[in-house]
Amino acid sequence: MTDIEIVEKLRRDLGPAALEVANPDRRRIFLKVAPGSLTAAARLLRDSYDCAYLATITGLDKGETFELLYHFASTEANINVRTEVPRTAPHIASITPVIPGAILYERELQDMFGLVVDGIPDARPLVLPDGWPAEDHPLRKDWKFQRPAEIIPGGKS
Amino acid sequence: MKFQIPIGPQHPALKEPISLRMTVEGEVIRDADIRLGYNHRGVEKLAEEKNWVQNIYLTERICGICSHSHSTCYVQGVEKLMEITPPRRGLYLRYLVSELERVHSHLLWLGVAGHEAGFDSFFMYTWRDREIVMDLLEMISGNRVHYAMNCLGGVRRDIDEAQKAKILEGVATLRKRSEYYFRIGASEPSFVARIAGVGLLSKELAVKLCAVGPTARASSITRDVRKEDPCAVYDELDFAVGTADSCDVLGRVVVRVQELLESYKLIEQMIHKLPDGDIAVKAPRKAKAGEVVSRYEAPRGENLHYIKSNGTDKPERLKVRAPTLANYPATVEMLRNGFIADIPLIFAAIDPCICCAERTVTLVNFRSGEETIVPLSDLRRQAAERRTNAPAKRNAVWPF
Repeated sequence: MTDIEIVEKLRRDLGPAALEVANPDRRRIFLKVAPGSLTAAARLLRDSYDCAYLATITGLDKGETFELLYHFASTEANINVRTEVPRTAPHIASITPVIPGAILYERELQDMFGLVVDGIPDARPLVLPDGWPAEDHPLRKDWKFQRPAEIIPGGKS
Repeated sequence: MKFQIPIGPQHPALKEPISLRMTVEGEVIRDADIRLGYNHRGVEKLAEEKNWVQNIYLTERICGICSHSHSTCYVQGVEKLMEITPPRRGLYLRYLVSELERVHSHLLWLGVAGHEAGFDSFFMYTWRDREIVMDLLEMISGNRVHYAMNCLGGVRRDIDEAQKAKILEGVATLRKRSEYYFRIGASEPSFVARIAGVGLLSKELAVKLCAVGPTARASSITRDVRKEDPCAVYDELDFAVGTADSCDVLGRVVVRVQELLESYKLIEQMIHKLPDGDIAVKAPRKAKAGEVVSRYEAPRGENLHYIKSNGTDKPERLKVRAPTLANYPATVEMLRNGFIADIPLIFAAIDPCICCAERTVTLVNFRSGEETIVPLSDLRRQAAERRTNAPAKRNAVWPF
């Protein structure tokens, strides 16, 4: 399938669920869906577009909302599914029932953006240490790193 | 009776910090759990505060072995955002270094695989030969590890005729040796007996768990970004994707040796086809607002950078997905129902690069079994407290 065929097929298959389909570059397709139809879109991509491979999930802090990008890839194209969740209620359904390999990326999202992934099989923190404050999410734009004052044992400062 | 054995974060079998927790029944692993985060450096957050040029050097330091792959992946994305096209010669030189890097990384891995399988002479042979390609990289870039070849709009160093001849000569030697390794790797009975059937990962599982790179290709998935999404020069060159269908560590050895041979072919073609002209164009200071997904086949698998620009000289967001992270869920499945003695072999077979996948310390209270991860500052504080409470040390007295 060429890029144009994929774009048309996506429009046809998803109908009104596809809020936006763009093809800015060769082999790059950006699809926007509502958070509610994300799992359905992932299942469709897996079953009829040969996109069982999820490369990663990118989170983006856009102020009022968090944007999530699910980077799928087949042998022909790289399909990126975009969705937005509000900052006040950052909930997203887990896509691990469809793509089990997404688990680490969803855990990373929870750590870094403070999103809540509903239905995630393993919700432990992935990269942040255990003593990390629960309300600190490093990749949010309003989070700034402050280096703690270094205390050298032995009294020298 | 089930036991849990912690392996790592510091363990002689692992070269980098990662914690594997194995649930074992006798000698058989029933479940494995991977705990990451010991090496997280916050590169993605840091990248938002650096400008486009500084980030080339930051991305290069994500990994120590495949340093060129991260910076290439970043640079090819930013070039798209800035709408500049590097000259052909610059592109050929960039991907020439990529292939040389793949050769050095795979030779390194072959040595590690031999070492973990208890075949140390194989390890010494491959690492001796790796010096040839390391010397070539040093000759081209001036460095053995962080080549710093990439700049926005091309590469920083050119090569001359004498250097071309040296590269061809080095590649000819390496090819002869690699063919010999291929014969050993596929037919030496004790080596094959050790690695065949270890760490099985069926094709269905590899697809389900989104495995990448040689790990996926050893399970007969022909996924290679150089073929699927050819960046710049790869569609002009002739090469094949190495695959195996044995789904075990033997398959991963075979795939990597095949890739070595394909890389030699690519290097020779690039040297012969090297166009004349400039090696770089000048890049603007700012990039237009936009976003780009950049993919690159690193030695360990697909590398993906998502770059978003807001029109300033700094990125709005840089997302890095290193191949090792994608292979962890598959590793857990490979370890399951294997033997404890196979852990280092299976784990080494994905060619893990922990510092790539991440960008602190676990303390287990041995009385209650409770676990806490403490930052370095707390450890220091505890150490200082302990020292003040410790009984005063006397000078050691020689007992006789």
